[in-house]
Amino acid sequence: MKKNIMLTLALVLSLLVSVGISFAGETIKVGAGQPITGRFAFAGKHINQGLMDSLNYANEQGGVGGMQFQYIYEDTGYDLQRAIASFKKIMAQENPPMMYGESTGVGKAMAPEINSRYHVVYGSTSFSEELSDREKNPYTFVSGPTYSQQFGVLLKYIAQQPKKNNAPHKVAFFYSDTEFGRDPIPYARELAKKLGIEVVAEEVTKVGAVDITSQLLDLKRNKPDYCIFQGYVVPPIPEVIRGAKDFGLDITFMGTFWAMSKMLLDKLGPDAEGYMGVSPYAYWYMDDVPMIQAMKAFSKKHHPDVDYRPNSYMQGWFTGMIYVKLAQMCHDQGLPITGENLKNMLPKIKDWDTGGLNGVVSFTNTNTNATATGKVYKAQNGKFVAVSDWIRLDE
Amino acid sequence: MYIGDFKETYASDQAVFVNTTSRFWLGVLFVLLAVFPFVVGDYLLFMANLIGITIIGAVGLNILTGCAGQISLGHAAFIGVGGYTAAILSSRFNMPFLLCLPLSGCMSAAFGIIVGGPSLRLKGMYLCIATLSAQLILEFVFVHWESMTGGIRGINISPPQIFGVVLDNDFKFYFLTVTLVIICVTAARNLFRTRVGRAFIAIRDRDISAELMGISLLRYKTYAFAVSSFMAGLSGCLWVNFLKTVTPEHFPLLESVRYLAMIIVGGMGSILGSIFGAVFMTVVPEGIKSILGLLVSVFPNAMSFLFPLQQVIFGLLIVIFLVFEPHGLAEIWRRIKNYFHLWPFDH
Repeated sequence: MKKNIMLTLALVLSLLVSVGISFAGETIKVGAGQPITGRFAFAGKHINQGLMDSLNYANEQGGVGGMQFQYIYEDTGYDLQRAIASFKKIMAQENPPMMYGESTGVGKAMAPEINSRYHVVYGSTSFSEELSDREKNPYTFVSGPTYSQQFGVLLKYIAQQPKKNNAPHKVAFFYSDTEFGRDPIPYARELAKKLGIEVVAEEVTKVGAVDITSQLLDLKRNKPDYCIFQGYVVPPIPEVIRGAKDFGLDITFMGTFWAMSKMLLDKLGPDAEGYMGVSPYAYWYMDDVPMIQAMKAFSKKHHPDVDYRPNSYMQGWFTGMIYVKLAQMCHDQGLPITGENLKNMLPKIKDWDTGGLNGVVSFTNTNTNATATGKVYKAQNGKFVAVSDWIRLDE
Repeated sequence: MYIGDFKETYASDQAVFVNTTSRFWLGVLFVLLAVFPFVVGDYLLFMANLIGITIIGAVGLNILTGCAGQISLGHAAFIGVGGYTAAILSSRFNMPFLLCLPLSGCMSAAFGIIVGGPSLRLKGMYLCIATLSAQLILEFVFVHWESMTGGIRGINISPPQIFGVVLDNDFKFYFLTVTLVIICVTAARNLFRTRVGRAFIAIRDRDISAELMGISLLRYKTYAFAVSSFMAGLSGCLWVNFLKTVTPEHFPLLESVRYLAMIIVGGMGSILGSIFGAVFMTVVPEGIKSILGLLVSVFPNAMSFLFPLQQVIFGLLIVIFLVFEPHGLAEIWRRIKNYFHLWPFDH
């Protein structure tokens, strides 16, 4: 009797194992260390949800060649050590061909091992110039334009605007004293010079700085037409905009991706009117965008209580779309879905219609694994309205 | 039959390992440490390296704060000085790792001596603030001395090489980390069998009495800062070579606070406590995360509630440990050991 039980057990176990193996063969794993808690949680939880929903949406559409995506994620608490630990844990346990991670710091710390050892396609929350450098980090991509490219889009837009009294446009850069803040500035200075835009002031503050009087006085002295923020999420942008208003300054304030959220507009209230900026993605309320419609239908089905998704969610969703696209390209060419093959597909993404979420996207630039595409938006009645078409920087 | 330890000579009183049992268990530990990398995966090896690097830093801080009584909130910055020294020496001068390592320690020690200067006039909270300012100044230097430190973007270095072996993965690095941890822990343990170590303790217990006994406060407080920072420098050098990159974000003020918490939870003034503290502060958050991760996979909708709980649970655990054992984990360990000391013939 006992022998029989053992035999049955062994049979069931071996069956389970074989089923497990066959399941494993039909999934494409995507691993992620997400900052769901900690300083970056305000965006991290939405990025995580966006990426998860995007892959599930792809699964509902039939996956890639019948294979389904499996999303494996961990919370990293926006902590470098924990994020690296999560990366290694997921790689050791699941060995996915695609990974997602938080912050520029983690990307930089993992880059040597990604390039030499893990050979895994790596997306992240970062829009850093350095990470997108194709020559140095061929496996790492940026889910949109880098900060430099975002500045490029804004400067290109400014250059196209009519000049006041035929004088060159005057721009100020207002950035935080962090990597996030300083990343695009050298490039932006150069590009401004090339486009004939005069950079009249550069204001640097700590993150979340409260006292911005000296910067405001400097803006008053230099009278820029435009002031571009970089390296902030909310503070001190509202204080600067209100302060400038009190001083009676006629400046158009602009921001890049992280300063283009509904959260900021809500904080600004009526002062948001006329605030501008660049974003690589469409917004949740843009119902005429096909991908937003798909997103909303998916959300209605799976998260009926959700009534808004911020731009960080769009970033997660778009990253998911890139993973799916890469896997699809590998499958179409009959190649196994490995990090190496996926990496080789990245520069081949050309004129890819993203359903309006990110315009028509190409990763064909020779030196950067980023899209170099963005749209300029302007705040009207608490919402962002597009004031330009998709601007491609390499055109 | 073994009934207790009797110390009949001064030498036996001073012995690090009092009996055969402790030597036996130490042997077991060494065997386990040697076998460990061959049986575990990348993730646990990464954690082991992380713990090892942290132990060296924590032992350094425990010498200064736990043993010599000088509170420091600048420990992360000293680790940073070591890290940057290693990165600069290796990237600019192509200096071999075995030379970078002691030089990083020395550079950090030099900074420690400078920062320790005010300790002659300042005590307790005041010294704490003085070291805090050192942390802030050094953080500023890391960010703004761009020509030297690479600014916000930091410096990338190639993996270290020792006797022709490139330590480019966690497995190879593990042996370096363990060797250095053993050297540092042994050195620290032996330090307290010397005049210098005893002078530290005398200063901690009552500096005026120590001075009356003929201990030069200037000299020994400087020693304490130098030794502590030297170890911080080694830890920084290892950290940078382990990650192969360094940015100012690696050494924030919070990291200094974490090191302080580590030695308090582990046990102030105890070398073993530093080890326990480092293990606790590194392993427990990972453990909590794994348990909550399992819960989240069962209840995916509770994610937004469960993940933030990590910090709460970890904080509570620290408080509970401190309430029930203010002398730290090392004291709990001592009690456990005492329980088994004469086991099973306890009286």
